[in-house]
Amino acid sequence: MEFLNPAALYTFLLLPLLLLAYLIRGRPRRMVFSSLLFLRDLSTRSTERRWRMIRLPPIFFLQLLLLVLLILALGEPVFSVRPLQVAIVLDNSASMQAREGQWSRFELAQQQARNLMGKLSARARIDVYQTVPRIERVGEKGLGSAEARSLLSSLRPYDMGDPPVDVEAEIPRLKKEMHYEQIYLLTDHPVQGRSDAVRVITVGRPQDNLAITSFYLSRPALVASRLEARVEVTNFFTKDASVELSLKAGERMLAARTLKIGPRRRIETAFEGLPAYPYYQADLAVRDGLALDNRRFAVAPTLRGLKLLGISPRPEALLSLRSVPGLSVKVIPPGDYAKIGVEDHAVEIFHFSAPSMLPQSHALLILPPAQNPLVAVGRALTRPVVSDWREPHALTRYINFALFRPTYARPLRPLSLIGETILESPEGALAIAIEHQGFRYLVLGFDPFPYLGSENLPVSIFTLNMLQWFQEAGGSGGTATGEFLPLNTQRGGILVTPQGEELSFREGPQLFSRTYFQGVYQVLRDQGREYRAVNYQHAKESDLNHPAPISFPEHGDAGASGDLFSTLRPYLLLLSVLLLLLEWFLNPPASRSAADRRGKPARASSTR
Amino acid sequence: MLPPPFTPAFISRLECLRLRTRKEFLSNRPGSYSSPRRGTSLEFADYRRYSPGDDIRYLDWGILARSDRFYIKLFREEVDLFVYLFMDASGSMAFPSRAEKFSPASSVALALAYVVLANHDHVKLHLLGGTFSAAATPFLRGRHRIIELMDFLSQVSPAGQVEFASALGEHLKRIRRPGKAIVLSDFLLPAPSYQQGLNLLRAFNLDIAVIQVLSNQERRPSFPRGGLAVADCESGLEARLEWDTASLANYQERLERHNRELRSFCHQAGIRYSVFLTDEEVSEFVLETLPTIGLFK
Repeated sequence: MEFLNPAALYTFLLLPLLLLAYLIRGRPRRMVFSSLLFLRDLSTRSTERRWRMIRLPPIFFLQLLLLVLLILALGEPVFSVRPLQVAIVLDNSASMQAREGQWSRFELAQQQARNLMGKLSARARIDVYQTVPRIERVGEKGLGSAEARSLLSSLRPYDMGDPPVDVEAEIPRLKKEMHYEQIYLLTDHPVQGRSDAVRVITVGRPQDNLAITSFYLSRPALVASRLEARVEVTNFFTKDASVELSLKAGERMLAARTLKIGPRRRIETAFEGLPAYPYYQADLAVRDGLALDNRRFAVAPTLRGLKLLGISPRPEALLSLRSVPGLSVKVIPPGDYAKIGVEDHAVEIFHFSAPSMLPQSHALLILPPAQNPLVAVGRALTRPVVSDWREPHALTRYINFALFRPTYARPLRPLSLIGETILESPEGALAIAIEHQGFRYLVLGFDPFPYLGSENLPVSIFTLNMLQWFQEAGGSGGTATGEFLPLNTQRGGILVTPQGEELSFREGPQLFSRTYFQGVYQVLRDQGREYRAVNYQHAKESDLNHPAPISFPEHGDAGASGDLFSTLRPYLLLLSVLLLLLEWFLNPPASRSAADRRGKPARASSTR
Repeated sequence: MLPPPFTPAFISRLECLRLRTRKEFLSNRPGSYSSPRRGTSLEFADYRRYSPGDDIRYLDWGILARSDRFYIKLFREEVDLFVYLFMDASGSMAFPSRAEKFSPASSVALALAYVVLANHDHVKLHLLGGTFSAAATPFLRGRHRIIELMDFLSQVSPAGQVEFASALGEHLKRIRRPGKAIVLSDFLLPAPSYQQGLNLLRAFNLDIAVIQVLSNQERRPSFPRGGLAVADCESGLEARLEWDTASLANYQERLERHNRELRSFCHQAGIRYSVFLTDEEVSEFVLETLPTIGLFK
């Protein structure tokens, strides 16, 4: 027999209170009498039978029995039938790396899982699942106990946050589809409610933690040679924390400073004038719950020479960008775009043209034709007014929009990809920014070119903002773990993971999806080496004090009266106990009632 | 203003009563109680031969005529009576309350005192214990002195513990005249204690009457069932016991045995004994119960 709600059994610890109540009640009542002459002998006899002073009435044992039964009922006992088809779902998200003494949560979960398997029937078939990057089975289907133990030991947690899927719905679905008799979920999240489909075993306790929640590099100006790093540190401690933050380039220490952060506060600090290095690392020197989020990586933004590929029927307008220092511009007619293949340029500018499908690089689309993969284009407007703009945003800073009056424009509307409207006119959006699979796309409903410099300051500033926005996309904070890493080379190359694993990839645009671990990924090409930073970016999971609970609905098919009763059952049981105790305390004892009936209560002060 | 039991009818009936004594006492003042000395009352006592100088008015002329011998008739001397009321004022007399035990007992004492005063005899009230500074009243005589007695009793607060024999002994040291002693107490004392006290009274040649005062609570304690810590209202000592119907029966049996012993002792010692239950009428007790034990003529 086992209990579905074993926490209720802790109520047994309260049972001595019942005995205590009886003992308090059984304590002698103090009375005053005229003489003890005839009572002393009675007193002597009573003292000899001292055990009778704590004699418990039969009602005590009845109430004790009732309470024991009620507590057992609250514990929801079930006569367990050893399941034969079992799934063990192991939470391998980053928070499972948190230390609990000498063991990590993941190791504790593995031990729990091994214990579970020890209790299963020898004929039981076990499937092992992990939750990130998605809930999926690992290893073969229908493993024996020994094989499953071996498989469990080989698993390790990923540097990723919880999956975006709804665990509460996904696991019952899994049980239904795969016909499991029992699913065990081992996680560090607390559980609310109860599910018949899954037994959740929670490991770990709330812990204090500090985390680097943001780390990115940028250039203070488009052509600046020195870099600026911004680091945001969040304190998930319940008290003030003082921590040393250091910035490194490989093994070289660049800067360090001590931060003091209030409880549940975040602080951002900047390191300026950094020299150029391939990649950088921010480190927190602290021993806290989760070591993973005490480190982040970033690579420098794209090199100063920003390479642009223009696709335009009017090359002169784009070539005017050459007047901007540090830019390399190449313009081709739209017809040549398909022929040019993959080139090593930072941004593609589609001027009065558009690709047939999403380009595998950052792209700027200026007044695209109706046939484009990103936006729907509206009717033409003459000198539209910019009525609203996104602020603060890298694209709109330093611009006086009262003077920003394009001569010709077409309003835009996003299609399938969700974009962020940067500029808006009463007729519709004039600029929409979209970020997808690590690439930035900007669609403009007006033409900012040719670049006129100081002759048209608002539009020129907007153009420079655009270029810097694209430039920052190359470096900055890097990619989050679990996101696709775009690989784009003409002749293929080798990807070296932080674990030192070397993976060859073919030429052409490709996406590397197995970014499960934080670190610097290196792309080796003929021309050289390119660095990509992949970081654990799941601030919510770093908050080890307030882990998100897994909430199971009490019963999926709620609404029926039977289910309602089941929901209220514990409360009804508790209510009945309370009523019983209340009745017991309110109802005067029989002897006192008898005394009252005689109409002459003892004068004596009776004190409890 | 006399307390409630003293209605005009009750007072008029009290005036008809006289205390009866078993003993004869010497006194210097004439009264209505016989003295062992020969005197001039109307009650014939004896003869003696005539001797010269005798008052010839007391010659028995009949004997002289029949036998020609001279005999003088002797008569009893009648003197007044000194009554000592010993009132227990220990803490137990205020249980369950003063109004329920001490006040009824005081009314009995007042009624007895009134009987004495109405017959122009002397009465003195002695307190055994209590918080009142004066331990006893002076000798009182005459009906009007009942008010003083009532004031005296109204100022008494029963409290404390009393060593019965020694308290009586202290009062007896100041008693010079023999007379009648009436003791009002609950006698919730060990037998040796009250026996020693009553024997002291006997040694002083007093005609003794005992009135035991018991409240209903003492006869039938209404303790709640279960464990009790019962404290003595005089000494504060505490006894722990388990109270149930068997305990009540046991208590009542012991009280009954105690009262029986007291009654037996009084009977053997020539002491009049009566029990006054505080829930009965004072007038009924004084006018009906006390005459049956021979306290009144």
